[in-house]
Amino acid sequence: MKSIVKSIAIGVATVLGSAQVLAMDVKVGVIQGLSGPPAIVDFGESYLQGIRMALKEYKAAGGAVDVELIVYDDEANPQRAVSYAQRLIQSDNVSAVMGTVSSGNVMAFAPILQRAGIPLIAGPSIATGITAEFIDEDPSYIFRCSMVEKFQIDKMLDWGIENFDKIGLLHSTTGYGSFAADEIQKGMKERGEELVEIQAAAPGINDLTPQMIRLRDAGAGLVLNFHESFELPYRALPRIDYKPTFAGNWGLSSQKVIDIVGQDAIEGTVMGQALDLSDPEAAAFDERMRAEFGDAYRWPVLAALGYDSGRIMFQAIENAGSDDPEAIRDAIESIQDVEAVSSTPAEPFSADDHECLDAEHVFLGVWRDGRVVRLE
Amino acid sequence: MKRYVYILMAIAIGVFPLVVENTFYIYLAQTVAFTSIAVIGLNILLGLSGQMSLGQAGFYAVGAYASAILATNYGWPLYAAIPFALIVSGIAGTLVGLVALRTRGLYLAMATLAFGFIVEILSQRWVDLTGGTMGLMGVPTLDFGNFRMGPIYFFWVAGFTWLFVQIGSDYVFSSRWGRSLLAIKDSESFAQTVGLNVPIWRTGVFVLSAVLTGLAGTFFAHQNGFISSDAFSIQLSIALLVAVVIGGLGRSYGPVLGTLILLAIDEGTASLHDVSLMIYGGILLFVLLGFPEGAIGLVRKLMPSILSRALMAVPSSPAAAPLEEVFSQNRRRESVGLSIEAISKSYSGILAAQNVNLSVAPGTIHALIGPNGAGKSTVINVIAGLYGADSGRIRLGETYLTKLPAHKRARLGLARTFQNLQLIGSLPVLDNVLLGMERNVPRAGGFWRWLVDTNHERIARGQAMSILQFLGIEELAGHYPADLSYGHRKLVELARAVAQQPKVMLLDEPVAGINTHEVKEIGEAILKLRELGITVLLVEHNMDFVMRISDHITVLDYGLVIADGDPAEVRANPKVIEAYLGVEEETT
Amino acid sequence: MLDTYLQILVSGLAMGAIYTLTAKGLFIAHLATHKLNFGQGDFLMVGAFLSMSLIIAGIPVLLAALLVLIALGLLGWGLERLVIRPLDRFGISGGSTYSWILTTAGVALILQNIAELVWGKSSHYSPPLFSEGRDNVIEIAGINMFVEEILVIGFAAVVVAFFYYMLFRTRWGRAVYTVAFNPEAAMLLGINVRRTVVLVFVLASLLAGISGILVGPLITIHPHIGLMFTIKALAVAAIGGFSNPLGILIGGVLFGVAEAFSNYYDSAFGDLYPLIFVLVFLVFRPSGLFSEAQADVR
Repeated sequence: MKSIVKSIAIGVATVLGSAQVLAMDVKVGVIQGLSGPPAIVDFGESYLQGIRMALKEYKAAGGAVDVELIVYDDEANPQRAVSYAQRLIQSDNVSAVMGTVSSGNVMAFAPILQRAGIPLIAGPSIATGITAEFIDEDPSYIFRCSMVEKFQIDKMLDWGIENFDKIGLLHSTTGYGSFAADEIQKGMKERGEELVEIQAAAPGINDLTPQMIRLRDAGAGLVLNFHESFELPYRALPRIDYKPTFAGNWGLSSQKVIDIVGQDAIEGTVMGQALDLSDPEAAAFDERMRAEFGDAYRWPVLAALGYDSGRIMFQAIENAGSDDPEAIRDAIESIQDVEAVSSTPAEPFSADDHECLDAEHVFLGVWRDGRVVRLE
Repeated sequence: MKRYVYILMAIAIGVFPLVVENTFYIYLAQTVAFTSIAVIGLNILLGLSGQMSLGQAGFYAVGAYASAILATNYGWPLYAAIPFALIVSGIAGTLVGLVALRTRGLYLAMATLAFGFIVEILSQRWVDLTGGTMGLMGVPTLDFGNFRMGPIYFFWVAGFTWLFVQIGSDYVFSSRWGRSLLAIKDSESFAQTVGLNVPIWRTGVFVLSAVLTGLAGTFFAHQNGFISSDAFSIQLSIALLVAVVIGGLGRSYGPVLGTLILLAIDEGTASLHDVSLMIYGGILLFVLLGFPEGAIGLVRKLMPSILSRALMAVPSSPAAAPLEEVFSQNRRRESVGLSIEAISKSYSGILAAQNVNLSVAPGTIHALIGPNGAGKSTVINVIAGLYGADSGRIRLGETYLTKLPAHKRARLGLARTFQNLQLIGSLPVLDNVLLGMERNVPRAGGFWRWLVDTNHERIARGQAMSILQFLGIEELAGHYPADLSYGHRKLVELARAVAQQPKVMLLDEPVAGINTHEVKEIGEAILKLRELGITVLLVEHNMDFVMRISDHITVLDYGLVIADGDPAEVRANPKVIEAYLGVEEETT
Repeated sequence: MLDTYLQILVSGLAMGAIYTLTAKGLFIAHLATHKLNFGQGDFLMVGAFLSMSLIIAGIPVLLAALLVLIALGLLGWGLERLVIRPLDRFGISGGSTYSWILTTAGVALILQNIAELVWGKSSHYSPPLFSEGRDNVIEIAGINMFVEEILVIGFAAVVVAFFYYMLFRTRWGRAVYTVAFNPEAAMLLGINVRRTVVLVFVLASLLAGISGILVGPLITIHPHIGLMFTIKALAVAAIGGFSNPLGILIGGVLFGVAEAFSNYYDSAFGDLYPLIFVLVFLVFRPSGLFSEAQADVR
């Protein structure tokens, strides 16, 4: 008797379950910077690689939802970004959006998505205020799975002040560089310190020798490098007899940088990190990405965050059980048991925290023997 | 465009957002509307006045930032911020236009490229003012406070603004404004000669295109509530150029058609981002190498003539009155004399004219002759004002012309023809003649008259036909100069000079290179002009012709006057004979 | 302090040499045809990438350079033949006097896309041409300099000298000037105008190719470096008035050095100053340093 009831119950549950499977077809829009300046492209392509890998594994594991990615290239142009956001909402009828690289572009379309009630997992944009801007909304549809600039800078400054007497700064004149420069100067002041030298440079510049000379003459033992051409400061060094330690944001962990600069020069460079390759999960992920994308895979931490955000998104959609954006939003916010390869925690979000990575999840990495490991 | 078509367009703009369900298309339509405005500005700048600009994104940025900053940071209402932004754009246009005066062709392209580039970099790095690449947020949008209907209102404002600008563009294209700009594009010397103040026109067009582009920029700024410097790169300048070329450069409807096509391509290839640059480049090549007249050219070819007739307004030229009537309509007919006193001019050490004195009695035909290199053309050009004399004075009647620029001399009644024929190739013969009437055309009220009457220039056209008839070439009115024989082109040049209803005419080799029959015709025409009271000074080599029609002759040799008197005297003058190396009978 | 200035000077001279070579390509094309390749910088980019790939593949430098030049020469021939010459048949209408700007720009865009597809969109480094590693530094009079830079300057000087020789001492050079002066008269003098025009564009592309080969090791390359080089080369050619090769040489050197020093003094806006200067210069001397303004006399 009991077993008949049990089997009927199982049968009913299965039928109900598969009815759900048959009904679910959800579109997720992705806006990324996939062309334009190399700095943008590296970010956008790597993050997208992670998302694609997440989707591939989700489908391979028999994911209940048939997720379709609609990918647009915003060319680092805010007008395009907004236009694609409109298109995704009104023409393509997506239930959720992910993206993009330029924080400016994110700030351009986030209000539109918030107003339209479509959840956004922003990334890899790093401007500090992205989720903070909307967190007071009831509810906020804006999340972010990416490094937060302020957290990296904080960690770097703490470490830098402890280990070096004189710290210099090299930044680019774009919004990204100027913003970072502001944050750094504020941070130094809060800690009662000052930079010995600040140098700026245009984004497309070819040679940073003059700037490095000035930093050398100021005696900076640590140079904070916030210029998009991550490798340029190194190139100028050999002839000016100067070998400072460099620290910068997660950009310095890209494979491209070591390819260009060489293992010797990059040894000891420190950067913000969220992926520890000595962790077996992360190492396995690294292997899978290399197998899938070959040489095109060049930025582990970016791809890892893209991957984690993808996993969060697809799991949340499945949890929500529908393509209703509001349900998906709620599901994202309340997601648990996330098994991230980056240092994203198992329960990243809450009603007043829409950041994947909080301050305690960001750590410093360092190049040792051709690999980026956690800085102890 | 026939006037009722404008009403149809207005209705279409009004109805469009109400029937279209997908709000994304309304968004796209907004973009088409205001981008077309910028492209119209470029069309007039490049297509009509021939000034290349690779930096239109600079004006777009100026307009966008001016309005956005005022509205966002200083709380100005949009109806104040936008007009102010237009003024700022106009100032920018003036500055660039002034630089443009000194540069031509490739240099101008480079200067505008540099301008666009500098504006982009400044907007990127002057972070305090513009927010740099992070941009300005919270820019008020043009939605009249109504969120749901907002995009529709925006579209109406943008769409009707476009319609207004388009009508203005149609006006420019079919009136003296467009004609004059085309003249300046093809030949600045010619333009000066018919009384156009070329620097003012050239700068003015830059200002106009800057204001239009800035206007588009303000719409852009208030469309999304956000602008950043990334939007104002050289890609934008190139996109505007591509739009104007695809649509059809120099055609009034090129811009809107080109913008539509470009946007359609952009949206259509949105998912092909890996090859988007190739598509873009390919389109440029495809259009420029295959369809240089752009989409409009294609439409014209394919459009059935019935449709063409229904839409297009083609002005006709009414039956012509005899020349005397034309001339009598205008002011007093007292003849005026021309005299030059002690004119000297040298180039790099060569004395082309030395101390030349010449006096043309009112209402007479005076010839200036001499061997090749004697300095005749120099004297003519000095009188016309194309060259400045090193010393000496020029007097037209009682007025001294010496310090006046060429276009002012034209306005005082001096007309000239060119030895190497400066006809405006992009205009038909009748329009070339109409250009001569520049100084007599009333300026005010032109637009309103045009709006109500598609043949608003009928009187002027009639007069032009009279002149063509006078010279026996009225059937050539609709032809283009390139299609005409040399002799006919000379007649058109003469017609244009006559159209200026001048007091004094300078004819530079009016019968060179044409056959005997035509020489006779022109001779008779000139005699007729003398009857109308016009004073004529002509330069010629054809001695037969000169002897036959001149009242008085001056002979130049090596820049000096060697003889001056009536035909019989000059013919017998031994010095003259000697100067021509003993050839008594001059053959051409 | 002095050694700092000298290092900056040498950097500036190296980049200036590159700008000069690229500008000379623009100059020679414009001289003969009043048109030029708006994608000159992108041709440079292709040269840099090809050179990089060949050298990384292990091909000896001289052979690689030869292959790159052949490729660029073909590109130049193709450009003239396919997107410049066909425009002649359209005559003067609308803006077609400037169509070549857009067609050569269109080719530039296509080249950028091809480069993206072949080499990817991110930055690459090019192995040094003349020395072992990128850090090869030599000490001259107590000052450290990159061997690469010095050799770039030297090599560029050789090319410039050769260019002068070709232009002023050979028949072909005189033919170019004749065509520049009056193509119809040139034809009557027995000069094959068409062939001269083709050769001129091929030469311009070769110069872009040489610039690309030389510049690769000095900077990091990616598919979009072309535009900046085109703009700077145009600026340099403008200083030289598009008519005097000596002016271009001086202009290029000055531009490169000015750029290096203005970056030193104001790193934020440094690269703007030389461009603004050129713009202002054009206003006052619209036809460059050495040439006379042409009177608009018809």
